[in-house]
Amino acid sequence: MASYEELSRLDMTYHDDVPRIPTREGVELYYESRGEGTDITLLNTFFLPVPAWRVYTGELEQHYRVLSFDLCNHGHSSKVEEEPTWEEHAADLIALLDALEIESTYLVGLSTSTVFARDVALRYPERVKGLVLTGPAFGPRGMRRQRQIQRAWLRTLESHGLEGLYEHLYPEVFSAEMNEAIGAPGFLGFRESFSALATVEEMTNGLKRAMQDKSNPEMLARVQAPTLVVVGDDDFLLSPTGARELAALFPDGSCEIIPKAGHIPFIDDPEGFQSIVRKFVEEVESRA
Amino acid sequence: MPDAASEVRQSIRELLREQQGGDRFVSTVSDTESLRQAGMSSNALVALLVAMEDAFDFEWDDDVHPEVLRSIESLADHVVALRG
Repeated sequence: MASYEELSRLDMTYHDDVPRIPTREGVELYYESRGEGTDITLLNTFFLPVPAWRVYTGELEQHYRVLSFDLCNHGHSSKVEEEPTWEEHAADLIALLDALEIESTYLVGLSTSTVFARDVALRYPERVKGLVLTGPAFGPRGMRRQRQIQRAWLRTLESHGLEGLYEHLYPEVFSAEMNEAIGAPGFLGFRESFSALATVEEMTNGLKRAMQDKSNPEMLARVQAPTLVVVGDDDFLLSPTGARELAALFPDGSCEIIPKAGHIPFIDDPEGFQSIVRKFVEEVESRA
Repeated sequence: MPDAASEVRQSIRELLREQQGGDRFVSTVSDTESLRQAGMSSNALVALLVAMEDAFDFEWDDDVHPEVLRSIESLADHVVALRG
């Protein structure tokens, strides 16, 4: 049974002493980099900013350089008037990699940011060594279901605020195992941190932007990078069967299923998730 | 004679003292101050909620309004209200 011990170490504070990297006019990105070696870059969703990853990447940091950053308009990165497109986020990422002298990197996307990972791999194939798509926001046939869920979340956000949205998404996103393990104190306590993660405006803008995402098998067939699809078998959005079918659409795709894990499987099994990522990276690196 | 709410507030302060390993946090936060704004992490709040279940013999419910979790005073008032 998962202990969820990492949740008790979650620290959502930002480091004030980290210099932000300018990526384009008016935009500077907050980032954190830990470890040495092959580069792994974590792509954030609108819901999970940089601090949320820290307790889940300790093992990877023993072997690789792990980079995480806040998207423009989210977390502690610059705020601009209009929510950036994935193309603009991709350009920001490339500028960040340039500034840190990272020639190419593995990308780890989560949920919404799996679309971002896919688009970076399509647009800048020479910068991407491999893709880890965790709890993908798109299935083998498309993403109608994702859009419907995002629309429902958006309506809840507009009518009931962040706390209403939390109540709506909590039983969907988190596994039954976690829900039972941390009980009502966990549900109530983490509602507090969710409310502090982002503003209603940030969430609204992110959800509206994500609802414009598209996916089809032809796009996936053009991804050159080795691609690993990772899902929990309690993921509300993509079943294990769907995940296997999705992985098969990539020219160099594979799939791993994490038992009893939900849409964010590293929360349920941090050790297992990092071990899967490490196995994937080592396998791809061994081809060189 | 201290009233029921004030006794519960004092007990919550004891729980916080044990949880935080000393007076540092407890001595600086007032009964009505927002615990989050005073620097309490969500993990510490979860630990406090679990400790309160044991100390006051009740179980939290998902329906609890966010305002209940705001301060030592609001937490104590909730416990007193549950006791009727």
